[in-house]
Amino acid sequence: MKQIITLNINNQNYDVVVTPMDLLVDVIRKTVGLTGTKKGCGQGDCGACTVLIDGKPELSCIKLAVASVGKKITTIEGIANEDGTLHPIQDAFLDHGAVQCGFCTPGMILSAKALVDRNPNPTQKEIKTAISGNTCRCTGYINIIEAIESYANSVAEKEAK
Amino acid sequence: MNILSNFQYHAPKTKAEVLELLADIGDRSKMLAGGTDLIIMLKEKMIETENIINIGDVEELAGIKFTDEGVEIGACTKIADIENSTELVKDYNALVHAAGELGSYQVRTMATLGGNISHSSPAGETPTPLAALNASVVIESKRGTRVVKAEDFILGNRKNVLEKDEMLTKFVIPAPAANSATVYGYIGLRNAMEIDAVNMAVNVELEADKKTVKSVKLVMGSVSPKPIVSEAVPALLVGKELNEDLVEKIGEAAMSEAKPISDIRASAEYRKDVVGALARRLTKEAYELAMEA
Ligand SMILES: Cc1cc2nc3c(=O)[nH]c(=O)nc-3n(C[C@H](O)[C@H](O)[C@H](O)COP(=O)(O)OP(=O)(O)OC[C@H]3O[C@@H](n4cnc5c(N)ncnc54)[C@H](O)[C@@H]3O)c2cc1C
Ligand code: FES
Ligand code: FES
Repeated sequence: MKQIITLNINNQNYDVVVTPMDLLVDVIRKTVGLTGTKKGCGQGDCGACTVLIDGKPELSCIKLAVASVGKKITTIEGIANEDGTLHPIQDAFLDHGAVQCGFCTPGMILSAKALVDRNPNPTQKEIKTAISGNTCRCTGYINIIEAIESYANSVAEKEAK
Repeated sequence: MNILSNFQYHAPKTKAEVLELLADIGDRSKMLAGGTDLIIMLKEKMIETENIINIGDVEELAGIKFTDEGVEIGACTKIADIENSTELVKDYNALVHAAGELGSYQVRTMATLGGNISHSSPAGETPTPLAALNASVVIESKRGTRVVKAEDFILGNRKNVLEKDEMLTKFVIPAPAANSATVYGYIGLRNAMEIDAVNMAVNVELEADKKTVKSVKLVMGSVSPKPIVSEAVPALLVGKELNEDLVEKIGEAAMSEAKPISDIRASAEYRKDVVGALARRLTKEAYELAMEA
């Protein structure tokens, strides 16, 4: 029951051979080879596998690849600028020491980016809510929240100009 | 890398196509909406299926539509779209509140309102406010359409009234009665991502004097295999004005009706205490809001 489907990942079309049972996280990591997306719990709890689907954060470990056809999938590899320099939210994470082992970071950054995209002025509570599905074993979250606040502020400042 | 059992995948584009498929292979199929329950059950080998029918991309099954009588919410409307709806907040805040408490943001962008009640978990977040708001559930098949009350949809743990060829297509929630208010509350173990130990929704309607209770609907979740609509609380309250003494009695009445179990999340005794506390607090809150409504 193998079939060829086209997935649009980071604005590029990939023709991949899958079965209906294949999970999006496995296809992204193993078939396409984009390993920035992590697989932790595999049960929807930890958020390491977060990708953006049509701009909204979803969990690729509980998403069928076949159900992702026709949608715009964005992984952590897709948010840097075209010239290879980092996206400002990635810079903010580095500047605030919000990365230790880095396993949670791709999912955390995508959740945070989606938050600021839908709500450019989030409160601390809204930030905490937005990342409540992203587990970090290392940092204790404080630096992550500060990084997201500073990124949101820089976006708000830019919009004010 | 294949850990799910073998199934065939169907991606209908219209409701009519879904109903056609259900008539044909409904007895050998599972519908996939957001998949936040279904994929986990498949992964854990709790269920197996020959066919998956993806209803999540059928546009006519999703959306929030206001009518003269109230609001209609499509079965495949995402929980996050309910949580973020500035239009629902005014009259249907109990549902918006519950939606915002379900899982994490990622889960809410995937999960649907229809999926939540169809999964029929005793701990489900939205069946209680839907019942308190007097929502009806619209069920369709190729044979026709029928409507059941939200509180009659769930029959027990992971059991509901749907036949194999039927699906839930939408919720119809009436506009709130004059001088009424509905509130939702829950007590869990952590602030986010927990499964509720107890959840509850209370709808209080007052007479034109804005003091005397005309009707009250108190619905408890997670304290029995299906949501319980209290009979004792209306018996105590209708025709009366709320006072501290009645508030105490309401707590006791709700506790006497709850049939909680002890499990990994909480003991039965603790759950009963929580029922009392929630019943007292939410009835007061709803009463006060209804006075201002
Ligand atoms: C990490 C995590 C946390 C969670 N936290 C909570 C929580 O706090 N509270 C809570 O209530 N739930 C929680 N859930 C469970 C789940 O997210 C919800 O029950 C969700 O609303 C299910 O919707 P879905 O669209 O994903 O359903 P699916 O998984 O797609 O479907 C669930 C079941 O309903 C059936 N179904 C779906 N739509 C229809 C329809 N229209 N007609 C007939 N049958 C249908 C499916 O066939 C399946 O059997 C959590 C899940 C995860 C993974
Ligand atoms: S790997 Fe998907 S949520 Fe943990
Ligand atoms: S940095 Fe290690 S899990 Fe977050």
